[in-house]
Amino acid sequence: MKLRSLLKGAMLVTVSALLIAVVALLGLIAFVYYNSNGGRDWNTPMEELSDALVWDGTAYTFAGDALLEEGRWAMLLSQEGQVVWSFRKPEDVPEQYTVSDVASFTRWYLSDYPVQSWVREDGLLVVGSPKGSIWKHDIAMNTEALLQTPIWFLAFFLLALGSVLGLAWLAVGRWFRQDQQVRDAARSNWINGVSHDIRTPLSVVMGYAAQLEEAPDLTPEHRRQASAIRTQSQVIRDLVNDLNLTMRLDCEMQALRKEPIQPAVFLRQAAADFLNGGMGAGFDFEMDLPETPLPEIEADPFLLRRAVNNLLTNCVRHNAPGCSICLGARAAGKELILWIEGGTAAGKLQPDSSRPLESDGGAAHGTGLRLVAQIAAAHGGKAEFHSGTPYRCELRLPAKG
Amino acid sequence: MAYRILIVDDEPALQSMVQEILRQAGYGTDAALSCTQALERFHAAAPDAVLLDVMLPDGDGFSLFGKLREIRDVPVLFLSARDEDEARLRGLGLGADDYITKPFLPQELLLRLGAVLRRVYREENYRVRLGETEIDWGKGAVRRGGQETALTAKEFALLRKLWEARGNIVTIDALCSALWDGPLVGYENTLMVHIRRLREKVEADPSHPQFLLTVRGLGYRLRREGTA
Repeated sequence: MKLRSLLKGAMLVTVSALLIAVVALLGLIAFVYYNSNGGRDWNTPMEELSDALVWDGTAYTFAGDALLEEGRWAMLLSQEGQVVWSFRKPEDVPEQYTVSDVASFTRWYLSDYPVQSWVREDGLLVVGSPKGSIWKHDIAMNTEALLQTPIWFLAFFLLALGSVLGLAWLAVGRWFRQDQQVRDAARSNWINGVSHDIRTPLSVVMGYAAQLEEAPDLTPEHRRQASAIRTQSQVIRDLVNDLNLTMRLDCEMQALRKEPIQPAVFLRQAAADFLNGGMGAGFDFEMDLPETPLPEIEADPFLLRRAVNNLLTNCVRHNAPGCSICLGARAAGKELILWIEGGTAAGKLQPDSSRPLESDGGAAHGTGLRLVAQIAAAHGGKAEFHSGTPYRCELRLPAKG
Repeated sequence: MAYRILIVDDEPALQSMVQEILRQAGYGTDAALSCTQALERFHAAAPDAVLLDVMLPDGDGFSLFGKLREIRDVPVLFLSARDEDEARLRGLGLGADDYITKPFLPQELLLRLGAVLRRVYREENYRVRLGETEIDWGKGAVRRGGQETALTAKEFALLRKLWEARGNIVTIDALCSALWDGPLVGYENTLMVHIRRLREKVEADPSHPQFLLTVRGLGYRLRREGTA
C-alpha cells in the first residue's frame, strides 16, 4: 500500500514533467518552423524573383514587383561586381563590389541591410530587406558531430528524464513521509488513548475477580469462573500492552534505551522473574547456557525482557503443565542467539485449531509474537520461528564490538 | 502495625476496589478524587504512604507528588494507566518509590506496597524461624538444637538477600552482586562454597536441603513455608 502510493505519486509527477517538456519542445519547433519555414517571405521567392528578371537582349525586364514586399529591394551584379540592374535600391548601397565584399555580404549584411543572393548565369541576384528586419547567423558544423547528434540528443534526454525522475522521487517521498508521520502519530495517539481508557476498568475487573477467587465461601465451579475472568483479563491486559508497544515500534515512536547487557545475567534474571511470578508453575523449566562467557550485547533491557517474556508466556499458554520449556543462548559468529524451546508452541503464530484451547487463554495472540519480531528488528537482529517438535524461537542479535 | 494509605484516583470504582483490597490486607485507608481533596486528606489523615494516579481532574499526579513531598516525606507509589517509558521514568525520576501500571493484580499491589513500606519504615523482625533453625539477625547468628553458630559476614549477607526475596528465586548474579559489589564472572564457585557452609548451619541435613534450595541453572531460593 505504502509503496504503491509512492510509485503512483512519482509517476504522476514524472508524467506531468514529461508532458510540460514535450509541449514546450513542440511549441518551440512549431514557432521556429513557422517563422523560418524555408522562408515563405525570405528564401522561397529568390528562385521566382530570379525567374521574373529576364534579359531580352537589350535590357532587363522585371515582372516580380508583387513578389517583393514593401521595403525590400533587388539588384543584379555582373561577373565583374558592377550593378547592372536594380529595383528600389537604397542610395547607401554601393554600385561596385569586390570579391571580398561579395563574400562578406552573402554571409552577413550589406551596409547593414540583410540580403540574400541567387547565382545566375549572368551574375548574382541580390535581394535586400529593411535594416534590422532579419537576423542572420552563419552555422557550420563538423559532419561527424552532426552524425552524432541523435546520440547526444538521446543521452541528454535520458539525463533530463533521470533528473526529473530523481527529483520526483525525492519530492514525493518527502511529501509521503510527512503525510505518513502525521497519520502514524494520529494512529498511535488513538491506540494509546484507547488502551489508557481500557486499563482502569480492567483493573477493577481483574481486582474483583482475583478477590472472588480467594473468597472462602465460593463453590469450586464459581471459583473456576472467577479464575477464568481473572486470567482472561490478564490476556486482555497483555494484548493492550503489546498492541500499544507494537504501534509505537511500528511508527518509530519508541525510543530505544540501549545499554550493555550480559546475556547470561539477563536471561537468568528474566527466567527467575518469570518463575517467581508463578507463570511457569507445573512446567519443567531448564536453562541452557554455555560454559564459556557469552558476548555482550547492546540492547534496551525493557524491550528485550518483554520479548523473552512474551515467548515464555506463549509457551505456557499453549502447553499443558508437565511440558518442558528451555531458555538458552549461544554465540554464533558476530551474533548472539537467544532461544526458547517449548513443547508445542513457542514460535507458533497461529494457535493450533485442532488443539482444545486452555481456559486461561489459548486465545494466544499473534500480536505477542509480532512484537517479538519487531523488538528483534529494532535491535538490528531478527526473530526466527521454527515449527516442528518442539517448537523453537531464536532471537538473533548483533553482538557488541 | 496498621499503616494508613491514602489513595488518590479520580475513578470511584477503582478507588473502592483498592480500598477493599488494602482493608482486607489490614491497612487503614483514606481516599481522594482530586488534587485538592488529596492535599486536604494528606494534612488531615497523615497517611504512611500514598497511592497516586497520574491523571487527575484538577492537575497531574507528578505535580501533586512534588507538593506532597514538600509537606512530608512519605513513600509514594504511582498507580497509572500510562505505560509509556517517559511517564514511568518521569515518575521514578522524581523520586517515587514505585510505579505500578494499570491494570494490576491485587497481589501485585500488596507485594509492591509491602516492599516499599518495609524498606522505608525498616520493619525489622530480629528473630525469624526457618524450620528448626532460628535466625537472629541482630546477633548475626543461627541457633539449632540449643546450639548457637555465628554467621560470617558473607553468609549473613547471603542469607539476608535470600530471606528478603520472600521465597522467590534469586539469581546467582544477584547474589554475587550483593556479596561482591557487582555481577562478577568467576565467583560462582566461591558462591557455591558459601552456600554449602550456610546449609551446614541452617539445614538439618545439608545434603538434602529443605529450605535453601538450588534452582538449577538460575540461582537459589529460600523456602519460606514453615517459617515465621
